[in-house]
Amino acid sequence: MTDSKTEVYESFVEEIPADTVKLDVRNLNFFYGKHQSLHNVSIPFQRQSITGLIGPSGCGKSTLLRALNRIYALYPGQRAEGQVMLDGENMLDRGVDLSLLRARVGMVFQQPTPFPMSIYDNVAFGVRLYEQISKADLDHRVEESLRRSALWNEVKDKLHTSGLGLSGGQQQRLCVARTIAVRPEVILLDEPASALDPISTAKLEETLVELKADYTIVIVTHNLQQAARISDHAAFMFLGRLIEFAQTAKLFDNPRASRTADYITGRFG
Amino acid sequence: MALLDRRNRRKAANALFVTFCTGAAVLAIITLFAILFSLVVKGVSGINLDIFTMSTPAPDSRGGLANAIVGSVMLCTVAMVGAVVVGVLAGTFLAEYAGVNRWTNAYASVVRFLNDVLLSAPSILIGLFVYYIAVKPVHGFNGWAGALALGLIAAPVVTRTTEDVLKLQAKQLRESGVALGAPMWVTIQRILWRASQGGILTGALLAFARISGETAPLLFTSLGNQFMNTDMTKPISNLPAVIFQFGLSAYDDWQRLAWVGALLIAGAVLSINIIVRVLSQEQKRS
Repeated sequence: MTDSKTEVYESFVEEIPADTVKLDVRNLNFFYGKHQSLHNVSIPFQRQSITGLIGPSGCGKSTLLRALNRIYALYPGQRAEGQVMLDGENMLDRGVDLSLLRARVGMVFQQPTPFPMSIYDNVAFGVRLYEQISKADLDHRVEESLRRSALWNEVKDKLHTSGLGLSGGQQQRLCVARTIAVRPEVILLDEPASALDPISTAKLEETLVELKADYTIVIVTHNLQQAARISDHAAFMFLGRLIEFAQTAKLFDNPRASRTADYITGRFG
Repeated sequence: MALLDRRNRRKAANALFVTFCTGAAVLAIITLFAILFSLVVKGVSGINLDIFTMSTPAPDSRGGLANAIVGSVMLCTVAMVGAVVVGVLAGTFLAEYAGVNRWTNAYASVVRFLNDVLLSAPSILIGLFVYYIAVKPVHGFNGWAGALALGLIAAPVVTRTTEDVLKLQAKQLRESGVALGAPMWVTIQRILWRASQGGILTGALLAFARISGETAPLLFTSLGNQFMNTDMTKPISNLPAVIFQFGLSAYDDWQRLAWVGALLIAGAVLSINIIVRVLSQEQKRS
């Protein structure tokens, strides 16, 4: 085995038609202070599809995800260089309005994080920030979002009770509902199912597959089966580098990089 | 044999330690109940309608504590409003904005250190300080100065609890607000403060309990007033100062009133502590 620091990596990136690319990451480098944790990552995300990011812990999947809506900017010392092109505009430019960017690129976290308010207010929170709409329209938006996240039937009779009273799986779908209520263009999910039981996970996956008709979805997952089940494209990352990006079926059945093959067959990671 | 020896020694040491702990707890409880008991015995008999309707009397005449009760409530309320506004904002700065860059970081360290100093400063020093900035320049004891002194004692408590409670909130709660497109200040006001309100309220109530019995800083600032007065620019009566004055006097009826005043403060502090307990229990349940 060669020393990982000096080893030269070859990236295998499958091309996808340019007009179907919603979000295009080019030569992205990411730094936590002096430590560089992403090296020249270039990867396209296709609209109306799900892209899964896989790889061992610490490989940079979450870091890449967090660069896409610049949530890292909350922490001084973290910075990204390169390009994150959303519809042809570089979101890493100085002048970009971060709040507006995050309204366009929504995010769901590993741990469900319902706000300490009613279920209704949780979903309406983001909508009220950017839109002045009538009570009736807001009611409609809340219902639509809860229906699309497959939570409506479970909560329609208790919309005005606290969101903290829901089960873990329900809370996570509430977070999805809250995110889509803002009508973003891209949804980022950071291991959204890792705190959920298998039944809740299945429901969440169903929801995501239905949502991809309207959104560009990027999901970080530790669970290879999950990536294989729901994603259209998959990216394998290792030590802060993109090793391989391809259609999910190709990446799993016929990987071009030997590291990808090792990882998906369970030889390491 | 050696093994058995060691075990016995360990058991003996344990029993000794448990005895000391239990003894200390019993001592504390006995003291507390002795205080409450003497307060109730000597105070309850003096409680009647006059206490709440009449002002402090001259020796050997009818009177109550109405002016002192009203004064104490006013001083504490004004002090708490100021302390909560300043304390919550300062605590929020320390918890949420200190890390923005190294200047804010350095500034926050200084503020945090001074706040800790203020937290443990003897209250008589605070009284003296306020005397020099708010009593001497206007040539007269006044209610505002009293409220300021009490506020200076309460604010560090609120600042500290606000910072601590906000820091306990999950990092991801902050991130989820921001990830929906909410600016940081909206995330703080609508989500983080709401998630922390139980803890912040607990801190505020504890601060209130602390200042409700403070005497020294009021002697330098609000002094006292034997008549009913609600004008904050004039001296205002208050329970601790009345207790101090009447309790040390030679008149039986004044001493009786001092006991009633002490009972009222103890009762108020006790009920506030119980309210805090109940509130924090509910916070845990939700």
